[in-house]
Amino acid sequence: MPDRAGWASLAVAAGALAVTASIAALLLWLGGYDPARAAAAMWSGAFGSRDAIVSVTLVRSVPFILTGLAVALAFRAGVWNIGAEGQLYAGAIAAAWVGLAGGTLPAWILVPAVLAGAGLAGALWALVPALMKLRLGVGEVITTILMNFVGINLAAYLVHGPLQESRGVFPQTDAIVEAARLPALIPGTRLHVGFALAVVLAALLAGVFRWTRLGFQVRAVGASERAAWVTGRINARAVVLASFLASGALAGLAGGVEVAGLTYALYEGLSPGWGYTAIAVALLAALNPVAVVGTAVLFGALEAGAGAMQREAGIPAVWVIAVEALVILAVLATDQMRRRYVASRRAGPTPDVDGGPTPQARPAHV
Amino acid sequence: MMLKRLLAVLALSAAGAACTGQDEAGVSAEQASFRAALLTAGPVSDAGWYAGAYEGLLLLRDSLGAAISHQQTRTPSEFDEAFFSYASAGYDLIFAHGFEYQDAAIRAGERFPNTTFVVSGGGRYSANVVPLIFELEEGSYLAGMVAAGVSRSGIIGTVGGVAIPPVEGTFLAFEAGARAVNPDVRVLEAYTGSWDDVAAAKEATVAQLGRGADVIIHNVDAASFGVFQAVREAVAGGRSAWALGMNRDQNDVAPDVILGSAVIRIPEAFLETAYAWQSGALGGRPIYFGATEDVIDFVLNPALVDRVPAELRAALQTARARIRSGQLQVPRVPFVEGEPGVR
Repeated sequence: MPDRAGWASLAVAAGALAVTASIAALLLWLGGYDPARAAAAMWSGAFGSRDAIVSVTLVRSVPFILTGLAVALAFRAGVWNIGAEGQLYAGAIAAAWVGLAGGTLPAWILVPAVLAGAGLAGALWALVPALMKLRLGVGEVITTILMNFVGINLAAYLVHGPLQESRGVFPQTDAIVEAARLPALIPGTRLHVGFALAVVLAALLAGVFRWTRLGFQVRAVGASERAAWVTGRINARAVVLASFLASGALAGLAGGVEVAGLTYALYEGLSPGWGYTAIAVALLAALNPVAVVGTAVLFGALEAGAGAMQREAGIPAVWVIAVEALVILAVLATDQMRRRYVASRRAGPTPDVDGGPTPQARPAHV
Repeated sequence: MMLKRLLAVLALSAAGAACTGQDEAGVSAEQASFRAALLTAGPVSDAGWYAGAYEGLLLLRDSLGAAISHQQTRTPSEFDEAFFSYASAGYDLIFAHGFEYQDAAIRAGERFPNTTFVVSGGGRYSANVVPLIFELEEGSYLAGMVAAGVSRSGIIGTVGGVAIPPVEGTFLAFEAGARAVNPDVRVLEAYTGSWDDVAAAKEATVAQLGRGADVIIHNVDAASFGVFQAVREAVAGGRSAWALGMNRDQNDVAPDVILGSAVIRIPEAFLETAYAWQSGALGGRPIYFGATEDVIDFVLNPALVDRVPAELRAALQTARARIRSGQLQVPRVPFVEGEPGVR
């Protein structure tokens, strides 16, 4: 049973959501569309049937879980990795390459190899900004963003050049061999084992944070790199490096899972910007790995519903994107309002150790 | 990325509203003769490739009583998902308007054997996956004749999105048509790497105009507005310059600078395809639509027809008749499974 502050924060959140829903409805109505029909389509596309839940919403949540975990891990360690998008592309490239080169290897070798390759490539993509941060003191916000452009354009180059399909016609790779593809998690649906992998990784990461020395070190470095260093018991630089690379690996895995689980080939424009949305996914989950699964499913549902708004309510994509953005804004805003309210109710200004990236946790050089 | 998308929302929302304001669900699913869906990888407010497809979808509703639905997709995994969603919702005929969809369509075809998937510009086919091949080269050849015929500088330009065979083919034919009129014509070529980057298309056009080109044809989708705008600004600056439309009759998009358009009558092609499906004749092979089928054509802008010399117009008529009768073979870049040179 929530206490009074809890009820009040819920009321605030509900109020803000209602306001946003009205704005979205008004927008749609002004555009000549039926808001009620839009809302119904959104619901049916996200949760309306077993197909919608399993084959669309959960499938959509997979890249959000993995990139969300990547961002949550990095932010916890005080590493501002904005480069999940580029790391995702690096992972996708590696997965496609391993999957194409796999030849006649059996699935029990090839599937792990594809995933390992994707993780490794993502880590490698994160290594460049990590070294620049640790060796040269260059802020990773800039370098990770720049590495995104390199990753996105490298994929585009590869599908037009060295990795282009053997027919040499369209900008895409050949399909990866059957044995490199992720099997379905539930036969007959689109849900692949990448979902299970993502959930397991979330649980694993939560366990590491909660029960291991390494997890404590990551949180300590994230709270204050200098304080952690002053204790003399934590190699802060090593922790930063490890967190950065692991974050890159998770994002790389997101790309690898997308290729091995769904598209079976590398394309330009593989990602609609999951690596950026991941920041919202992770922040909304207060950087808690288990909560990331929840927020990722929420974002997956939102995208699934957006597709259905087009299909079932006949609302053009541009309107759907605008409504989608409004919903994300509302969710983020209500969450912040709720947290502020809760914080103001608390006795004393004790920093929230498990909470989001409070500004004071920001490294000095960013 | 987000910013770009946001700008696109602002820029296209007005056009989108104008274009798709009609209610798609004019026919309810129960009374419909069949259910048809359209997937596009870009906005149907592009006044070109995708707009034509959307008109085709509306024609299926109005002529055949189909229940219709449209979705714009962004990523390859969305292609897959959209096929899944439409097919499992019981749609009979799914038009996927672009080569991007072909692999996902082949997979969906195996999963849903009772649904027919039609891929515009696709290169592969199966029992229920059918590529529509638009021989737009036959229209762009005529566009090339016009370009070379009206150019004063003897330099003409092409601005493309992504260098894929259906686009390269149109430019190859454009150049052939131009050389048939003026063997010494110079043809500039640029690819922006994007179908909807209006700014990049405008920049490429400005660059070609700067190098002396005075007739520019494009083969991009929503980005064509950038091409027309660049030509408009050159004309406003006192230059003589023309643009040519592609994929759909775009003469009314910028009636002051577009001399004519190489068109695909996509609605007619969709209708033919639906008839073939209804009679059970669709599947197992690609369908070619060219000038002979009256799907491909070149249409002069009626407002500017006097700017095209009479003898050039006569030459156009002759070439058009020879293409239709098969006497004149226009070059194209083969890309369909089973065509010569394609594995």
